Amino acid sequence: MHLHSTFLKLIFIILPLCCSSFFSYAKSDITFANFRDIRDLNPHLYSGEMWAQNILYESLVHYNDDGSFTPWLAESWAITNNGKTYTFKLRKDVSFSDGTKFDAHSAKLNWDAILANKVRHTWLEMVRLITAINVIDDYTLQIELAEPYYPFLIEIAVTRPMRFISPNSMIDGGTKSGVKSYIGTGPYILAEHKKDQYAIFTANPNYWGTKPKIDKITMQVIADNQSRLMALEKGEIDLIYGKNMVDADSFERFSALTKFQALMSKPVSSRIVLMNTTKPGLNDVNVRRAIEHIISKDDISQGIFNGSEAPADSLMANNIPYADLKLKPYQYDPKMAVTLLEQAGWLIVKGQEYRQKDGKPFEITLYYDSNTASQKTIAQYMQDEFAQVGLKLNIHGEEEQGYRDRQKAGNFDMVFDISWGMPYDPQSFLSGMKLPVYGDYMAQQGLSEKIKIDTSITKALISTDENERQALYRYVLETLHNQAVYIPLTYERNRAIAIKSLQGIEFAPSQFDIPFDKMYFE
Amino acid sequence: MLNYIIKRLIMMIPILLGISFIAFILINLAPSDPAEVALRVNEIMPTPDAIISMRQELGLDQPFFYRYICWLYNAFQLDFGKSFIHRDRLVWDEITRSLGPTLILALSSFIFILLISLIVGILCAIFANSLFDYMIRIIVFVGTAMPSYWLALLLIWFFAGYLDLLPTNGYGTWQNLILPTLTLSFVYIATYIRFIRNNMIENMQDYAIFYARCRGLKGHTIILKHVLVNSLHTTITALGMSIPQLIAGSFVVEYIFSWPGLGRLCITSIMNRDYPIIQAYILIMALLFVSCNFIVDIIHQIIDPRMRERSGS
Repeated sequence: MHLHSTFLKLIFIILPLCCSSFFSYAKSDITFANFRDIRDLNPHLYSGEMWAQNILYESLVHYNDDGSFTPWLAESWAITNNGKTYTFKLRKDVSFSDGTKFDAHSAKLNWDAILANKVRHTWLEMVRLITAINVIDDYTLQIELAEPYYPFLIEIAVTRPMRFISPNSMIDGGTKSGVKSYIGTGPYILAEHKKDQYAIFTANPNYWGTKPKIDKITMQVIADNQSRLMALEKGEIDLIYGKNMVDADSFERFSALTKFQALMSKPVSSRIVLMNTTKPGLNDVNVRRAIEHIISKDDISQGIFNGSEAPADSLMANNIPYADLKLKPYQYDPKMAVTLLEQAGWLIVKGQEYRQKDGKPFEITLYYDSNTASQKTIAQYMQDEFAQVGLKLNIHGEEEQGYRDRQKAGNFDMVFDISWGMPYDPQSFLSGMKLPVYGDYMAQQGLSEKIKIDTSITKALISTDENERQALYRYVLETLHNQAVYIPLTYERNRAIAIKSLQGIEFAPSQFDIPFDKMYFE
Repeated sequence: MLNYIIKRLIMMIPILLGISFIAFILINLAPSDPAEVALRVNEIMPTPDAIISMRQELGLDQPFFYRYICWLYNAFQLDFGKSFIHRDRLVWDEITRSLGPTLILALSSFIFILLISLIVGILCAIFANSLFDYMIRIIVFVGTAMPSYWLALLLIWFFAGYLDLLPTNGYGTWQNLILPTLTLSFVYIATYIRFIRNNMIENMQDYAIFYARCRGLKGHTIILKHVLVNSLHTTITALGMSIPQLIAGSFVVEYIFSWPGLGRLCITSIMNRDYPIIQAYILIMALLFVSCNFIVDIIHQIIDPRMRERSGS
């Protein structure tokens, strides 16, 4: 009897302990779906998934939401020689996940490898400007530039290419022809990868920084949007994350489900329509302004995106650096549009369906990427709005690569476009306008201010005076706004849908990153 | 017979050479510059310098016929070069890696098609114009009309979501195989049931069958030995050709069920203008279609003496 009661007591003591440890167990692995494979994660090239490169490799500095910088692999830095010399003091407690020490020598080796493939990185002005990379001592790295360049820190902070891979992963001391393995200093290591099926990342046990609460990240490739949502609903995955991973209707549906949470970021990039100023009809600023007045951004935002994308008043959202210019937006005002069209000589002729000038009816074409459902819907909406003021808008869907070729060749009246998003806006997006590789360059050729726009962009990038830089950006953005080259439609936002117990879901400054290190399960 | 086989094998060579040339010429006919697309897909700004460098890297700066001969010579050794988009990937590795999952899916679908179409087709012929036959005809009608992506989503919703019996997508276990197989097979099953049923009903009205009945042969002997065997000739041709069709036409199913197969690889390569993969895919598919056609013809020669007489073998 005594033994029996002792046994019972023991059970009463042990059972709550077991229960408490059982119930306090929190899930520490996350499964999320991506629309494609991680591909080549060489940090110095561009074909890999950015979110994966971001958790494997680190940068010298960290770019914050508010545009400031905090130390990362560099614990401090100094800018001297009138903005032409950057000296970084590196952390001394960092190793690559294969045990190799991270120091000024391995950092230089990495950046030398990037510069050996310069032609691939010309979209970063900074790569062109670097004249020397010097190792001052084991933990001091110095970069010299040909000219001062204010976005230097932004460009070394972005996910690629200025991040660091273990020298042991390099092939013949370089990364141009590929790498042997994906070894970085980041919070995760790539543990397993089955091409086009899944990739598993596990926490780096020797990570120098704060260890993430999620121990294991499993990425499943699920290409189809509907399949992804069904997998989430069934509990096969915990998270869907990304700008184009969830359509507006599904986002709204999941927002209403108690088992899930649906989150949205601040505006990350601008959805725009680009008007070619060299084309007949559109070469008149009054016609372009009239077109601005017949597009209701509110209707697009509410009717097509269920309010998940905010109406856009200007080319860049106010939260983009240097873009809070309080420009007067083009309001939806068809009467004003009619007045402007009549001023431009496009008149209604009895018996004719569309407005005419010099005996020719107004007719232009808007091209869209046929793989993007929202572009087609917006194009159809615009076609209807055009017809209501007597303008003919043809709409033409094309397969993506053909559509891109058309943009580059300038063979369009109107096309859809998108800004690059933070942290590439405004500097990289505007810098791209100077080169004949995107539709922007061709579309702006009809502007008498084009040369001044390009020189202003160049000057803004090398200016060391904050006020001068702001004035130059103001000139560029104001001119493009007044000349009505772009129709800003909506500001895109990043989206995430997850199971309720997943906490700490945040949006990074770059729309392509997924901050897994902040996530945890309740 | 041996002469016939040799003759057919020799005929395959110019056909495959012609297809290989057409596949290769695509690269020159396409409006997009593959070097530029390769840069764009990899999110590299396609500046003139970058395009020149990429053209050199991809070997596009060489004369067309030189490139074709080199490609053909290497292709004979199963070396199709590297992907234009993912420079670290060999085309042959990509093809073989994707071919396995597609073959598994095609084979399981083929077996499923064969079993279901034969059983249901025979039953429909035996019980022609019965309630069962009408029901099947309705299903067949719906089956041939329903797009496979829609069917796939319905199956996922019902079996994976509502009943919670199977995974929604993925690859690696037998459970993963069920829904893609059902989706891929459905249209074929619908077609073959109608095919077998109609052929059998037609053959049942033949004098030979009437004579067999008069001879007092049992019903199942007549159906299986006389009606079915005579009805299978055209079905064998169709079924034989359905193997390459199953392999080449699995894209939608592979996309929705995240099946890492050849269809997905091919469509992704087309979207990205990854010509080395497209060229290899076309050549391999052509070889598959020509070989299946050849095998079906040989089977016909074996089972049908009239065909042997016609071909003089």
